[in-house]
Amino acid sequence: MEDIIVRYISRMLVPFVQLYGLYVILHGHLSPGGGFSGGAVVASSMILYALAFNLAEGTKKLSHDASSVLESGGALIFAGMGLFAILLGTNFLGNRVAGFPLGTPGNLFSSGAIMVITAGVGIKVASTMITLFYTLIEGEGHGHD
Amino acid sequence: MAMIEMLLRLHQNSFYFFAIILFVIGFHTMLTHNNLIKKIIGMNIMDTSIFLFFVAIGYVRGGRAPILEPGVSHTYINPLPSALILTGIVVAVSVTAYALSLIIKLYQHYGTIDAEEIMRIRGGESL
Amino acid sequence: MSSTHLPVLVVVVPLFFAYLMPLFARWRKKWCLPVTLGAITFSLFSSLYMAQQVMASGPFHYRMGDWPPPWGIEFYIDHLAVFMGITLTGVGLLIIIYGSKDLLHEIKESLMGWYYTLYLLLMASMLGMAFTNDFFNLFVFIEICAIASCAIISIKDKRECIEAAFKYLVLSAVGSGCILLAIAMVYMITGHLNFNFVAEGLQTAMSVYPKNILVALALLMVGLGVKAALFPLHVWLPDAHSSAPSPSSAVLSGLVIKIYAVAMIKLLYRVFPADFVGMIPVMNMLLWMATFAIIVGSMFAIVQEDIKKMLAYSSIAQIGYVFLGVGLMSQNGLIGGILHIINHAMMKSMLFLAAGAFIYATGVRKLSDLKGIGHTMPVAATAFTIGSMAMVGIPATNGFISKWYLALGTLDANKPLFAAVILVSSLLNGVYYLPIIVNAFFAKPEGRVAEPERLPVQMTVPLVVLGFGCLFFGVFPSRLVELVTRAAQVLRGF
Repeated sequence: MEDIIVRYISRMLVPFVQLYGLYVILHGHLSPGGGFSGGAVVASSMILYALAFNLAEGTKKLSHDASSVLESGGALIFAGMGLFAILLGTNFLGNRVAGFPLGTPGNLFSSGAIMVITAGVGIKVASTMITLFYTLIEGEGHGHD
Repeated sequence: MAMIEMLLRLHQNSFYFFAIILFVIGFHTMLTHNNLIKKIIGMNIMDTSIFLFFVAIGYVRGGRAPILEPGVSHTYINPLPSALILTGIVVAVSVTAYALSLIIKLYQHYGTIDAEEIMRIRGGESL
Repeated sequence: MSSTHLPVLVVVVPLFFAYLMPLFARWRKKWCLPVTLGAITFSLFSSLYMAQQVMASGPFHYRMGDWPPPWGIEFYIDHLAVFMGITLTGVGLLIIIYGSKDLLHEIKESLMGWYYTLYLLLMASMLGMAFTNDFFNLFVFIEICAIASCAIISIKDKRECIEAAFKYLVLSAVGSGCILLAIAMVYMITGHLNFNFVAEGLQTAMSVYPKNILVALALLMVGLGVKAALFPLHVWLPDAHSSAPSPSSAVLSGLVIKIYAVAMIKLLYRVFPADFVGMIPVMNMLLWMATFAIIVGSMFAIVQEDIKKMLAYSSIAQIGYVFLGVGLMSQNGLIGGILHIINHAMMKSMLFLAAGAFIYATGVRKLSDLKGIGHTMPVAATAFTIGSMAMVGIPATNGFISKWYLALGTLDANKPLFAAVILVSSLLNGVYYLPIIVNAFFAKPEGRVAEPERLPVQMTVPLVVLGFGCLFFGVFPSRLVELVTRAAQVLRGF
């Protein structure tokens, strides 16, 4: 899309969309949303950027290597927190019993492991959606299946 | 009188009734339309209807969204079905993405996305 | 890390390495295969250790995050679960050893890392389905298994593979939709999702909401039946299993369709109340559908010309045996059905791997072109022979043991018609397997001039191990039968 108005407006909008997505992810334990929906919102900001400019610019902002690492990293954070709870002595994905600091309900930094896990899920969902979009748009050429 | 009682019962359970209607619409779309993309749309309608059914189970009349505020206590709806369906929606999205990429590959191989055309080409070349 | 965490580690370790595998595939290609083998071997040894534990002290629970049952998800490790764990990891390990060499002929080299990822996801999801005690956890694992099993078919880029994978995906999505609707109905009646709590709830609600429980049971049967390829719902199986790469066919026919049958066993025997299942004729319907599956599957297999399509139709018949064992509602019948799971896994995987070896070495798939192949490829042809004899049910192979128990079960339940069905189907099995063996060893090779390639050692070792396993468990089945007997007793509530 070569339109100058679309490019100008989307360049201004992308940070706000990402900020909203981050808000939904981080407040997953306080308000509706959480990892999945927040990740989808963050991904939509990158998709907006790639649609307004062309795909090469979008790939420059988030290369295939980086999105690969982010995908695996997000899921590994989730599994890693569960295994970390095993190392601390309780069962898989233990939260209060494993000694994670809980805080008072209603604050941002409360509920121990849930915030870390939500952040991991958000990163993974965002990078997966972006990768799916790039793969479907590119057609053939890249070795992804 | 029996009609009125049945209509009253339908009105009480209207969510479930419309969910089942949507399920049948989605299933019918998946079965009868030839275009492969319409089959995937039918699958999505079917999945959405099941999510509606599941979420409507958690509805409590007069309840509010289940967000705790310190100090006040209200009737809240049941949050468990909503949390489960979040996972279900992600699964439906993944299956749709995978099915669409398979359709792209089928188009590259066969040149058409009409199911009957594909069966005709397959029947003509094999066996 | 003490051994109490083994139940969750059996599922989480393959899952963890499945997440790491794309990174290895991009930056350290050499690590892909050893990591996969290591993860599945760890799960195998953990399952064996837990089997010892369960046989000594009975079933136990594992609670995630130490949350007690109505709030938390729990894994319930009983005899059936460890039996499935051993089956899945043991046969799965041999198949992926075979696949590490065979797949290079069938898919692109750059996609091998993704194949290992999908394989580990498939293993983790099937192990999770065997162990879980929670309805929604079961649904999530069913979905992971559905996508992974479609993806290992479509990773090969031929027209029939993509089309078969699409058909499988669409039908599988219908099945998953029905299962989710059934879970919604059960949740609506009882308000719980844990199997034990649901069982109690259904017991009390049986008189108040009989129609809802009936609908939930029917939807579960249809949903799991589509995925397990029970007779009228089997239409996706021949295309999917015959066009996939050989290791994928082996894993799909041998393991994936069985785990859904195990899920159905768990639900029918532990969740739905026993007198409810006795009131409605669901077991009778299972029996008749299984009978049609056995007869029709064998009859279709006789007329096939392509070796993998014949083996796929044979799978439809064999899953009928498992459901025959489930539907008989007698102790011996259930033992026969569950034992047939591991026997068929070993036999059918060996047959598919041997067929893959024939295709790898000579490139032919038609049965009429396989004349005289016994002279040039003795290992693969012997493995095929042992597998065929085990399928027919000749004594001294493990197929005979499970058919024996099934026949005893039909006589116990006063239904001798089904014993006749088992006999007739064994004859039908012989009709389509024996000509291949006769052709392989006693006919002159015609037309083929080149020497077939030598099979690499990664391909012959699994064939030899599986063949040895078939014969060993046919002659010394006592440990296995003991485990399965305890599993059947625990399921029926004794």
